[in-house]
Amino acid sequence: MTDQIVFKLDGKEVAASPGETIWDVAKREGTKIPHLCHVDLPGYRVDGNCRACMVEVKGERVLAASCIRKPTKGMEVSTQSERAAKSRSMVFELLASNMRPREEGPDNQAPFWKWAASMGIAGSDRYASKFAGHEQGHRGAELDVSNPAIAVNLDACIACGACVRACREVQVNDVIGMGLRGSHAVPVFDIHDPMGLSTCVTCGECVQACPTGALYEKSLLDKTATKRAVQEFDAVVNTLCPFCGVGCQTAVAVKDNRIVQVDGRNGYANENRLCVKGRFGFDYVASPERLTKPLVRRDGAPRNVDSTKPYADRFEIFREATWEEALTRAAAGLKKILDGRGGKALSGFGSAKGSNEEAYLFQKLVRTGFETNNVDHCTRLCHASSVAALMEGIGSGAVSAPFNAAMDADCIVVIGARPTVNHPVAATFFKQAAKRGAKLIVIDPRGQDLMRHAAHALRFKPGSDVALLNSLLHTIIAEELYDKDYIREHVSGFEALKAKVKDFSPEAMAEVVGVDAGVLRDVARIYATSKASIIFWGMGISQHTHGTDNARCLIALALITGQIGRPGTGLHPLRGQNNVQGASDAGLIPMYFPDYKSVEKLDIRDWYENFWGQTLDPKRGLTVVEIMDAVHEGEITGMYIMGENPAMSDPDQDHARDALAKLEHLVVQDIFLTETAWYADVVLPASAHAEKLGTYTNTNRQIQIGRPALGLPGEARQDWELIVELARRIGLDWKYEHVSDVYAEMAATMPSLKNISWERIEREESVIYPSRAPDLPGDEIAFTDGFPTADGRGMIVPADLLPPDEVPDAEFPLVLTTGRLLEHWHTGAMTRRAGVLDAIEPVGIAAMNPRDMQKRGLQQGDRITVETRRGVLDAILRADREVAEGSVFMPFCFAESPANRLTNPKLDPFGKIPEFKYCAARVERARETAAAATS
Amino acid sequence: MRPETPRSRRERGPKGRVVDDSALAEVRALLGMRERRRDLLIEHLHLIQDEFGCLEARHLRALAEEMRLSQAEVYEVASFYDHFDVVKEAEPRPAPVTVRVCESISCMIAGADELIEQLSAGVDPRQVRVVRAACVGRCAGAPAARVGDREVDNATVEGLLGDVRERRTEVVVPEYVAFAEYRLAGGYQLYEQVRSGALSAESIIESLQASGLRGLGGAGFPPGKKWQFVRSYKGPRLMSINGDEGEPGTFKDRWFLERDPHRTLEGALIAAHCVEAERIYFYMRNEYPGVLEILRREIAALEAAGVAPRGFVELRRGAGAYICGEESAMIESIEGKRGLPRNRPPYIAEVGIFGRPTLNQNVETLWWIRDILQKGADWFAKQGREGHPGPRSWSVSGRVKRPGVVRAPAGVTVRELIHDYCGGMLDGHTFTAYLPGGASGGILPASMGDIPLDFGGELAKVGAFVGSHAVVVFSDRDDVKGAVINLLKFFKHESCGQCTPCREGTDKMVALLQAKGALNEPALRDLETVMRDSSICGLGQAAPNPVNHLLTLFPKGS
Repeated sequence: MTDQIVFKLDGKEVAASPGETIWDVAKREGTKIPHLCHVDLPGYRVDGNCRACMVEVKGERVLAASCIRKPTKGMEVSTQSERAAKSRSMVFELLASNMRPREEGPDNQAPFWKWAASMGIAGSDRYASKFAGHEQGHRGAELDVSNPAIAVNLDACIACGACVRACREVQVNDVIGMGLRGSHAVPVFDIHDPMGLSTCVTCGECVQACPTGALYEKSLLDKTATKRAVQEFDAVVNTLCPFCGVGCQTAVAVKDNRIVQVDGRNGYANENRLCVKGRFGFDYVASPERLTKPLVRRDGAPRNVDSTKPYADRFEIFREATWEEALTRAAAGLKKILDGRGGKALSGFGSAKGSNEEAYLFQKLVRTGFETNNVDHCTRLCHASSVAALMEGIGSGAVSAPFNAAMDADCIVVIGARPTVNHPVAATFFKQAAKRGAKLIVIDPRGQDLMRHAAHALRFKPGSDVALLNSLLHTIIAEELYDKDYIREHVSGFEALKAKVKDFSPEAMAEVVGVDAGVLRDVARIYATSKASIIFWGMGISQHTHGTDNARCLIALALITGQIGRPGTGLHPLRGQNNVQGASDAGLIPMYFPDYKSVEKLDIRDWYENFWGQTLDPKRGLTVVEIMDAVHEGEITGMYIMGENPAMSDPDQDHARDALAKLEHLVVQDIFLTETAWYADVVLPASAHAEKLGTYTNTNRQIQIGRPALGLPGEARQDWELIVELARRIGLDWKYEHVSDVYAEMAATMPSLKNISWERIEREESVIYPSRAPDLPGDEIAFTDGFPTADGRGMIVPADLLPPDEVPDAEFPLVLTTGRLLEHWHTGAMTRRAGVLDAIEPVGIAAMNPRDMQKRGLQQGDRITVETRRGVLDAILRADREVAEGSVFMPFCFAESPANRLTNPKLDPFGKIPEFKYCAARVERARETAAAATS
Repeated sequence: MRPETPRSRRERGPKGRVVDDSALAEVRALLGMRERRRDLLIEHLHLIQDEFGCLEARHLRALAEEMRLSQAEVYEVASFYDHFDVVKEAEPRPAPVTVRVCESISCMIAGADELIEQLSAGVDPRQVRVVRAACVGRCAGAPAARVGDREVDNATVEGLLGDVRERRTEVVVPEYVAFAEYRLAGGYQLYEQVRSGALSAESIIESLQASGLRGLGGAGFPPGKKWQFVRSYKGPRLMSINGDEGEPGTFKDRWFLERDPHRTLEGALIAAHCVEAERIYFYMRNEYPGVLEILRREIAALEAAGVAPRGFVELRRGAGAYICGEESAMIESIEGKRGLPRNRPPYIAEVGIFGRPTLNQNVETLWWIRDILQKGADWFAKQGREGHPGPRSWSVSGRVKRPGVVRAPAGVTVRELIHDYCGGMLDGHTFTAYLPGGASGGILPASMGDIPLDFGGELAKVGAFVGSHAVVVFSDRDDVKGAVINLLKFFKHESCGQCTPCREGTDKMVALLQAKGALNEPALRDLETVMRDSSICGLGQAAPNPVNHLLTLFPKGS
């Protein structure tokens, strides 16, 4: 260790590694030096401004801030000198002098007060508060309660800038600045705006960083939002965020069986960060609308019900039942169909929100109990086409590299994805990488926040994906920027691709794509020639009738340039739900057993028939949309739906809802009376994420453990137990004592889980698969040497231009595209019932470009009617410059304006994914407002 | 401070302030073909402020969009500097004419307070805005003011009202030696010699060291040594010229640039050549509109004549912040950010502008280089006193008959300056006290008027320093405590607010000094201690100097 720096700390010889500060070494040595502006967490730059950590360096004129000062050889540092101690205590006295007394301030447990108390400082009797001159005393400092989740008590602010670094450098949301100067210096939002009216995305990173409670969770404050009300927690549980595929690790604080605070933990995927959903969207579990007793449909209640009825009206349709009655009825209805018409008349929708164990049990129940492969889940609506293309091309549907690989990349392509909205914490890594100098290329018809950080932002014409991607492939081939060696070693199909893309020059495609040829060429060159390039994509790629073709093009880009299998390279479809990767891995899809083993391959089926001890359906099952069609055709008459909401999520919603109404028997297991549950014969109240134990697999292939923070409400039961109950009641002999038993059985069927035991996940919190040994970390980067295909090579499948299924015409002149909002999760079942989230986005909206609105004489806030060939609905109009002209954007989470009533159910032929991203639509002012406007 | 609050979420668009198309078009038109580089943010803010008289929120939003910055990044910079007026939605715009009246120490004792009071009473606030300004560097003409861009010495209420009435707000450019004249008289021949290699960097550095030339911005660091340091770090390197002469009482740099700017520019080109700097950033305070105009013209002339390549000398305009005279704060400002001094180490010679090794020199330091190299190090050195080599340019103001920039030897005393250089005390005034080095150098009684003035030495022993050589002379008509309060209010106003000791210390010191009754000495001493020991930069470390002297040397408080 020759590069160690030996110096003296309080007389003791110590060694620092290069880059370590005096504070770092002191911490390691067990010497506690106060700190305020220094946030001792990954990703926080030291700033050295608060001067709480001053130490004396022998021979120097002034003291040094230990948090930022690096020791040099032979330096003699005293943390205990009278001079240093005096300065530190003065700093605390000066800061405390401006504040309310500890017990009257926003956070009496703040690090500031703990340090101050250790020095015997509780305020100052000789220095007046700088707010003293204000009429309202301390309240003269601004109190900003405009944000639904966070209160700003500026009289507790010490202007240390931790919030600025949190917002700008860690989360890179760039909302908070340090405004003004001198004793007026103050953290500001945007242009000194109220937090709630600013561009703040309420990620709460600033709250986590603030050392004084000046920025603090309202959930812990009293009603005035000025004083901490919740003191000791009953428990703090290490678990996971229930929302997206990023898989953030959380610490959930519980008081009186309610969640009162969520903080980020230092997980691989989130490094302490969270987004608004994860940090503040926790109270849905305590919603008064939680199902707490089993419900059965009243005899004679209409099947075709208005599923947007208020919860309070549920007893018009349902009555409460005992568990015994409910489970018996649920099982009996399914059994009757099974016995009468066979398994092909049954189907099941599992959930990407449940655990791996639940997914495994659910598909096992359908396959062995229902005797059919008609099992699917919302992966069909997300990345089915991506998975189809990946399986076909490189033999694996999972990501080749974690999103963190962006930090090692020189070029990052984000296409058809809005990670700042849908994978906010993953997006922080992309933004950080761009700040560090990586070239970020964002390709999307809609504008987005990420484009501000991009070297190139391509807002291309909706639906012209293949034209765009083929023009990039053309450029790389025409300019010979491809990796000949890599292709020779690892790729097949290059010649066919070369022939296919010959006519797709950027110059020929520019008009079709709506992007300058020069830009297309530059993007192709950057991607191909960067040392490490990585591609991230989302539903803008997959949710098209040409979704599989889109993904094939991305795979081809990676294969011909060799931008895969190395650090900083790869293909990463950003998985949407917290466990969509795990649910798919566990076989919750109609064509595969766990680990993507085809149900139609004899040897595999033999293995499973042997393992599960019964004969199995030899044919692949139907997919989500196909199942709904089969219901209409009378082929499927019974369904078991757990934690899915097809009444909201499926395309051409009226058609889907009609199917649900047409079922002979429907069992829904959920935590809320979802739009789907309103059609059920039996509703089984189940467990929320915060109430259960299980493993979840995020978009990075990390298997992580979620632990219960709360008990179940009322009579609600664990999902996995309910699956077992049903299984037993239709005649299966299932015995599981504990969730870990399920995991063990599942792992026995899945080579990908080799070396990853339940105990290991419990111990390590997160394990990436595949893992070569029980004591070796998993492989972050896959395909370092070829692919898990038959010949070990990646196969290029060239793609042709296909127009979207339904293009605008005179009757329906606009393009309707659907998606999500930052605050709302999937169909809104959880987030619409989360106070903070629904306060930020409380109404069903449709967004248009202001220019289009102006042409039509429409105003922001107008109630408009949006209509397509499938249906019509009303929504509140929002002006959004990010929406391309000629387009309407609608989130699909609002039950009152359910976008999927309008969407086109036409499927991609390979992935069977519907074209959510494109259909023809028209808008007009809704009739009642039209009348109001003219009166 | 609030944007219009929409009635409900329903009527709001995406989060935050929406870009206004007309504001965006206006900003684009103003910026024209200029680069949208981050470091040009302050320059671009100036364009908007100059055009519209303020920075409206809609323009800030549009500028953020155009420069691909966040609103916070734009606002925090705009709100840091005194010369930017941020105007939120529904707030009134500032009046069309702004009169800035200097309230710093020399102007204060010359009656700035009365002037401001009477002027404010005599104007229509809708038409004219009267602003108290920190030192505008015209202390010899105290009280000084500025009407629009017109700088006014010995300002009177009548005179200023006349200027306002007649709309005399344009910059007045003094007579100076322009490029052609300078060159005709042999200017830039030296630089040609340097550039051709006839004069080596090593020999130049040697001459500078032999001359005893010190850095004349205030710290007195020998330039020769500084150049060697900068040269020792791996390139590419950059250079800056510190023209942010903000220390109250200091006006020598303005004096030099208003007379013979090319001496500084030639010195800078030589320095840049010696340290192989790729570009020179000339940071000039915005309080000097005349100098700014001169530099604009003369840098263009340099480029036109091919003496310097286009863009090699980049003029950067300050925006009203004393702290930007601190070299690392100036660098932050050059990078387009708030002027926050950096923690050291690393020093800017190693990690400066954009993280590169940077040579920073004061205007006057560079001004002397030509003479030293042409007339010899010895010629320069011997203009000082024994043990105090070189001449110095003293900005003398206050109660003397002939205030101004005087050239006198290093090591001169204040009594000599008063009597031998400035015509003695004003009639009826008796010398009682003086500032040896602006606001930061402390305040000394007349009984210490025979201390040789130079860096370090006897002055340092009494806790004072000569700094930028700004000598302010007080008389029996002046109240020392009042002067100290003025100085501390200045520091409070100019503290960047970054570190606790300075931000809180200057604020609390002013409050304690202004409190009724006897001074709370222990409380003041504790503030002094933490400010000296723990402030990040010289501002906070030196701000207690006058308070210390007040307590130590003026026991009666006056």
